[in-house]
Amino acid sequence: MIPEWMTLTDSRELPEGSSAFAVRTIKSVSAAVGKLRFQQGHEKKYAVPALVKLILLVLFIVFLSLNRSVLIMMAYTAVLLLYLSTWPPADILRILKGCLGVSLLTFVLLVPAMLMNPDGVQSQILLVWKVFLSILMVSIFNHTTQWNHITAALRKLHVPGIFVFTIDITMKYTVALGRFISDLMTSYLIRAVGKDDRRYQSLGGVAGVTFIRGTQMNREMYEAMRCRGFTDDYRGL
Amino acid sequence: MNMIEVRNITYVYPGEGKPVLKDLSFCVEKGGCLIVKGDNGAGKTTLFRVLNGLAFPVKGQYFFDGTEITEKWLGVSRNSKLFHKKIGYLFQNPDTMLFCGTVYDEVAFGPRQMGLSDDETDRRTRDCMELFGITDLASKAPYHLSGGQKKRTALAAVTALNPEVLVLDEPFAGLDRKSKELLKEFLKEYHEAGKTLIAAVHDENQCELPAGEVLELQVV
Amino acid sequence: MHIPENYLSPSTCGIMSAAMLPVWYHAVKNVQRELPKEKLSLVGVGASFSFLVMMLNVPLIGGTTGHAVGGTLIALLFGPNAACIAVSVALLLQAVIFGDGGILAFGANCFNMAFVLPFAGYYAYRLIVKCFGKGRESSGLHIAAAAAGSYIGLNLAALCAAVEFGIQPLLFTDSLGHALYCPYGLNTAVPAMLIPHLAVAGFVEAAFTAAVYAFVRKVSPDLLFENIRNSSVTKSSHLPVFALAALMIAASPLGLLAEGTAWGEWGADEIAEVVTDGSALGYTPSGLANGWTLRPLMPDYALEGMSETAAYILSAVIGAALLIILFKLLTLALKDKNVRYDS
Repeated sequence: MIPEWMTLTDSRELPEGSSAFAVRTIKSVSAAVGKLRFQQGHEKKYAVPALVKLILLVLFIVFLSLNRSVLIMMAYTAVLLLYLSTWPPADILRILKGCLGVSLLTFVLLVPAMLMNPDGVQSQILLVWKVFLSILMVSIFNHTTQWNHITAALRKLHVPGIFVFTIDITMKYTVALGRFISDLMTSYLIRAVGKDDRRYQSLGGVAGVTFIRGTQMNREMYEAMRCRGFTDDYRGL
Repeated sequence: MNMIEVRNITYVYPGEGKPVLKDLSFCVEKGGCLIVKGDNGAGKTTLFRVLNGLAFPVKGQYFFDGTEITEKWLGVSRNSKLFHKKIGYLFQNPDTMLFCGTVYDEVAFGPRQMGLSDDETDRRTRDCMELFGITDLASKAPYHLSGGQKKRTALAAVTALNPEVLVLDEPFAGLDRKSKELLKEFLKEYHEAGKTLIAAVHDENQCELPAGEVLELQVV
Repeated sequence: MHIPENYLSPSTCGIMSAAMLPVWYHAVKNVQRELPKEKLSLVGVGASFSFLVMMLNVPLIGGTTGHAVGGTLIALLFGPNAACIAVSVALLLQAVIFGDGGILAFGANCFNMAFVLPFAGYYAYRLIVKCFGKGRESSGLHIAAAAAGSYIGLNLAALCAAVEFGIQPLLFTDSLGHALYCPYGLNTAVPAMLIPHLAVAGFVEAAFTAAVYAFVRKVSPDLLFENIRNSSVTKSSHLPVFALAALMIAASPLGLLAEGTAWGEWGADEIAEVVTDGSALGYTPSGLANGWTLRPLMPDYALEGMSETAAYILSAVIGAALLIILFKLLTLALKDKNVRYDS
């Protein structure tokens, strides 16, 4: 028998309260998970091997960081933008959005320094420019390289197996737990109909449950690995 | 009067070209019952997300109790809270609904949110736990429970808000015979109390729901 | 607190990465001893958890939100050694996939957030529990200690980042005395980093850590690191490794500074000369030598010194590329307006 209050319609005023943090969390987690999923297959068929790309990337970044010549920076810019201009528009947008955002942030951070020392403006502009180019290179690398090829490259560089394995399963768990967090937060949001005086507890609950779910998933995965013959030897993974 | 009115909605997942829902229209009147059927991937869960204001169609309109539900309207915190108070949603996977430390806190979350007094909150919480037979689990942690217990906890947590519309995604999946009976009885009474029900079920469970209209979704 | 690319000089980055090597080695060794075999892959969960924690928005006053770093929390849940590896992996993902924090600055970011933060936070927690616990098992004390530990950990990490920033303009300037990397000196960088962390971010971190720790402690205490570590394992001291890391850092850029001042009174531009000319090679660690030998390949051109023809051609190329990109983005914007479903 359902209780009597349930047969009635609630017509009371709801107390005011903000749950903006839940909305924002759902947005940022979904964006990150989307990006990780997107990461799965964006490589061209005849691409330069990931290992070569990775080494080149680091070399280019070091070289750029050491460099003082505007001419060389212009050359970097020309090559990168020219390459980028051959891409489909949607991909260009995705890349430029991130790069410009970070560059803008750098610029804002440097404004006080420029105001304090007007002579140094030129070198600060160069710094912003360098930040833009570095992020652009990393984004292009990331956009054209599948993650599993990067980890394969790390293996070839003799990075310890347990480390590479950890990176691999981190990707897997992040997508799974990220979805889990957005579902929990959604469930919080649609039940948070008034003022939540215990928002920190709720948030602690969301994070805590995610942690517990993560350890459960880990146990299940370990058991599945054992069932398929894994003998605690991470080197072979 | 129509509680829910959906006019020609089309939903496309961001970044995908193929729609999941296409030109869908239907109404559910106040106190009605809608049974949603369809194969896997036909868009049942997507439809429920739209109905609960968690996803927004790219085309078409959705009216809830006479108000058009849009992203902009729900963007106002007050509207969103009022809306979510009136519509309750049981996820297909109850695991992803429970974030509190104990079953009691989980069920009490809704009533506390509504600003009820402590006594009132306690009464509602106990009633709901009683209703779904989880009273003796009150101090347990939700994810130490079995699948069926989790589902019943999630149901209690949703119904503690006493929503006017109850949306249930596969409510009978994973329940044993006894829990099924319990839920069937509850839905019957809840429906008789004048609340609106919308549920996705498979054929074999349709008889467990109060009689209602059937909406058959096709894979687009 | 993610240090982006080019804020730190490559040599600082190299030194910080070198300092992390013994720390990582030590952490990997200890994790394998501390955690039971079936829990080793927990480090992966830790990494994804620490990655996601930074995305959780924490409610502040009114409708505003901030976010926690969670380093101490990860250490409390998974142990400081596992936390060190986990946070490093999370930082790697952020740097490569999200452009959050530089690739070269990876070592420095790891030093602050994967080493200083979790270890300082965890041991502050342990110390507080030990000093005030007196054998009693009180939940409240543990939670308070977790909050205090995370506050201390975060602020120490912020201090480290501030010092790394602050020494840049002292060490690396161009021939005109302008900073090449971060332009803010210690007197600006330290308060700029520390005040917001002491006043706001530290409390966010503490409240968040306490909330999650309290939850797990109440609900599944068996999963906490304190309760899963192999108790039979004798505790090894962290001190030698920490000392090694500290020594490596102290021996390099600060040493550079000390040596410089010992030579005589330097004006800002004179220090710049010392650092920029080839003789700087003399006191950079061998691991950086490759980076620094590139220097002679790139003459120190200023704007006025560059070849005009080359600059002209490059500008034309950049302009053309920009036009193509703009045009493509424009077509995208137009296409967005009439999305087609029936394709």
